[in-house]
Amino acid sequence: MKRILTLAAACLMLAACTTTNVKSAAGLPTAPPQNALVLLAQPDIELKLLTASGLLEPRADWTASAKANMQAAVEATLKGKSHKLTVLDPTTAMEGREGQVLRLNGAVGNSILAYGMYGAGLPSKTGFDWTLGEGAQLLAARYGTDYALFVYGRGSYSSGGRVAMMIGAAALGVSIPMGGQQAFASLVELKTGKVIWFNQAVASPAADMRSPEGAKILTDALLTGLPL
Amino acid sequence: MRRQTTLRAAVSSVLAASIAVTAVSPAFAQRNDGQRTVGQRPDISTDEGGLWAQSDKAETEARTKAELNRDPDLTPYVRGVACKVAAEYCGDIRVYVMDRPYFNASMAPNGYMEVWSGLMLRARSESELAFVLGHEVSHFAHGHTLATWRTMKSRSNVGMVLMLAGGGIVGSLLYLGVMSTVFAFSREQEMEADRLAFERTVKAGYDPAAAAALWRALREETAASDFPKTRTSDTRGSIFNTHPITPDRIAALDGLAAGRTAPSEGERTRYRAQIRKFLPAWLADDMRRRDYGQTLHLIDRLAADGEDLGVLEFYKGEAYRRRRLDGDQDKALAAYTAASGHADAPVAVWRELGDMLSKVGKTAEARTAWETYLAKAADAEDRWLVEANLKKLNEGSES
Amino acid sequence: MIARKLRVAVALAALVSLSACAGLKAVPAGPYASGGNQITVGRTWTDMGRLFDASKGVRLLSIDGPQLNRLFVIDGLKPGEFIMRPASKEKPTPTWKAGLSPTEQVEFLADTLAVMQYYRVETGGLRPVKVGDRSGVRFDITAQTVDGLDVSGIAQLVEAGDRLYVLLYLAPTEHYFSATKAEVEGIMASARVGA
Repeated sequence: MKRILTLAAACLMLAACTTTNVKSAAGLPTAPPQNALVLLAQPDIELKLLTASGLLEPRADWTASAKANMQAAVEATLKGKSHKLTVLDPTTAMEGREGQVLRLNGAVGNSILAYGMYGAGLPSKTGFDWTLGEGAQLLAARYGTDYALFVYGRGSYSSGGRVAMMIGAAALGVSIPMGGQQAFASLVELKTGKVIWFNQAVASPAADMRSPEGAKILTDALLTGLPL
Repeated sequence: MRRQTTLRAAVSSVLAASIAVTAVSPAFAQRNDGQRTVGQRPDISTDEGGLWAQSDKAETEARTKAELNRDPDLTPYVRGVACKVAAEYCGDIRVYVMDRPYFNASMAPNGYMEVWSGLMLRARSESELAFVLGHEVSHFAHGHTLATWRTMKSRSNVGMVLMLAGGGIVGSLLYLGVMSTVFAFSREQEMEADRLAFERTVKAGYDPAAAAALWRALREETAASDFPKTRTSDTRGSIFNTHPITPDRIAALDGLAAGRTAPSEGERTRYRAQIRKFLPAWLADDMRRRDYGQTLHLIDRLAADGEDLGVLEFYKGEAYRRRRLDGDQDKALAAYTAASGHADAPVAVWRELGDMLSKVGKTAEARTAWETYLAKAADAEDRWLVEANLKKLNEGSES
Repeated sequence: MIARKLRVAVALAALVSLSACAGLKAVPAGPYASGGNQITVGRTWTDMGRLFDASKGVRLLSIDGPQLNRLFVIDGLKPGEFIMRPASKEKPTPTWKAGLSPTEQVEFLADTLAVMQYYRVETGGLRPVKVGDRSGVRFDITAQTVDGLDVSGIAQLVEAGDRLYVLLYLAPTEHYFSATKAEVEGIMASARVGA
């Protein structure tokens, strides 16, 4: 999901409240499954400081906190629904066919962001219909799970000087990154490989994932409509 | 998305947008000699900590890249050389060899080092390789990267949007935007790294003359380009925006080496043995740059000791065949013919000879070459093509 | 506030690669052409528009988006022309020439794939095909994206009237290529080139 940053920034909008954009595959059962076995990939998060001069400075401490907070919040939500979790560090699973399936998941995720979330999308596709194919069964077999949940977070927080500058620049019609944070999540049904649910949540100031409370608010919004 | 017209311009935009420097804090735990402490890790909340984390991420991604060279022997060999010159920092370094046809070695502040195949192909001995790796280790040990970042940050007051097209090589190098040596080292830093690398390599028992010889050879290759602007452009010791390899740097190294000798008997032969099996793939990669003047110069340099002439003359032929300037066809023919006289010639040389001979109307010799190909390449997928050519030739001669 | 949001959003949208937000056209079942290179598709594809760094005659069709399937339909190349535009004069890209042997034609395509940012490109299975009443060649491709995703492909080259007509299809080896291979071979067989 390397190009998530590019695509995310392209659809970034100032939000006073956390906004979401939930997509679900057609034909899902009306009642979510009980006691599902879920493979939770460790959240892939990168947070930066956006300075007045427009430099994005990676902040390892914010990133580490956000990763821990978001993972805890997601785990709490899923366990609260009595599902059983297996946590996976994807960076350790990039070899062989499993690695190919994980890379394909990135390509599918990027495609969903580019064409499946806004506007008319691709005329060659009807509905929300995306799949990883039969390779997903490899993950099911390896980890003994029925579903895989992937969570991503990207964003930046503006320094004070930056905020002042943005207002001036926007008035001139100049596009500059505004600083903001987003989270994405996708749920894959491993038996079929289908991406059965996808959401993009744009964080409000209250949903600051650097704190456990903010991460909980963002996660609640992010997992809206999760069919589990 | 617009594709950047120069690599350097594109990389500069990545750099400007991903620099991580916040407050000024002590560079790193320093020893009395000003070098970094062995095995140190910066505090996660510092600017260096942010860079370190980004380097960790880039390193994790490097492990998954298509261009990672996964040969089980090559990376341990290169790591061994890096360790010899890194001395006390050996344990801090992790080496990744990437199959990229450009001269480059880079180190990130977390000790992650990339060595590119273009460099491996251009070093003639382990001493020359050791010098370049020692040069990068010196930048790493003396915190040149962090110093450069901070200088750039304090200078920069223009907002840059972190958006880059994936055009050309830049797309594949975006993640290297956090690599330490991407930033422009100053002339002083480069000269210091040259001097420190010289000391490290001599201490490790390498040839003192190797450093100047390699830098000199790179300048010669720049001058051999097919392209006028490239011929007069700067020679760089890394594909990124480092200070160029200028005559003063070479003179300084000559001065350091004056009067010193070290046994280098058999050194070139031993190094060649390490890279021999990669010559075909790396030369094919180099050819895709389409600067045949430089590829031919490189091949001549590789052939200087008389080893691997079958492979080298074959790729010489390929370069002339692809370039197609006036007179190149004859030169290709001569090179392929020369290759065919050596035991290590790739079997494809007879197919190419047949194609080329038939083009210049030497049908009898073309037939012999193609028949030799079919005899030697029993499993070749393209047999049917050569058989069809022979059939056409034989029918033509009968009419 | 709304106007500012829209202005910024539009500006940012323009920065997204491969025109994710604009310029997508339906290609319904039936004929589709890039100049003199015409194919017939059996179901709706999407015309992704022009690629910024490719020649004018290069069109890209897809079903699920270019990261999941790419069908390049390329109008006849004249001798000396390229598929991918060079970034600068001294960084040339592969150009087609008259009188290339079949192996050199494949080499031209393989080198072009490297410019398109495919790595570890390998070609094989070169075979003659009949395309309408023309003769051409088809061959198989394996490669990787920069991130190490395995990709498979097929290419078809037909020379007619001093021009080279190219059809090139690439998709991830994992699921996507095999899911579409038969359909793509049918499309390639349906090609009609030249005037």
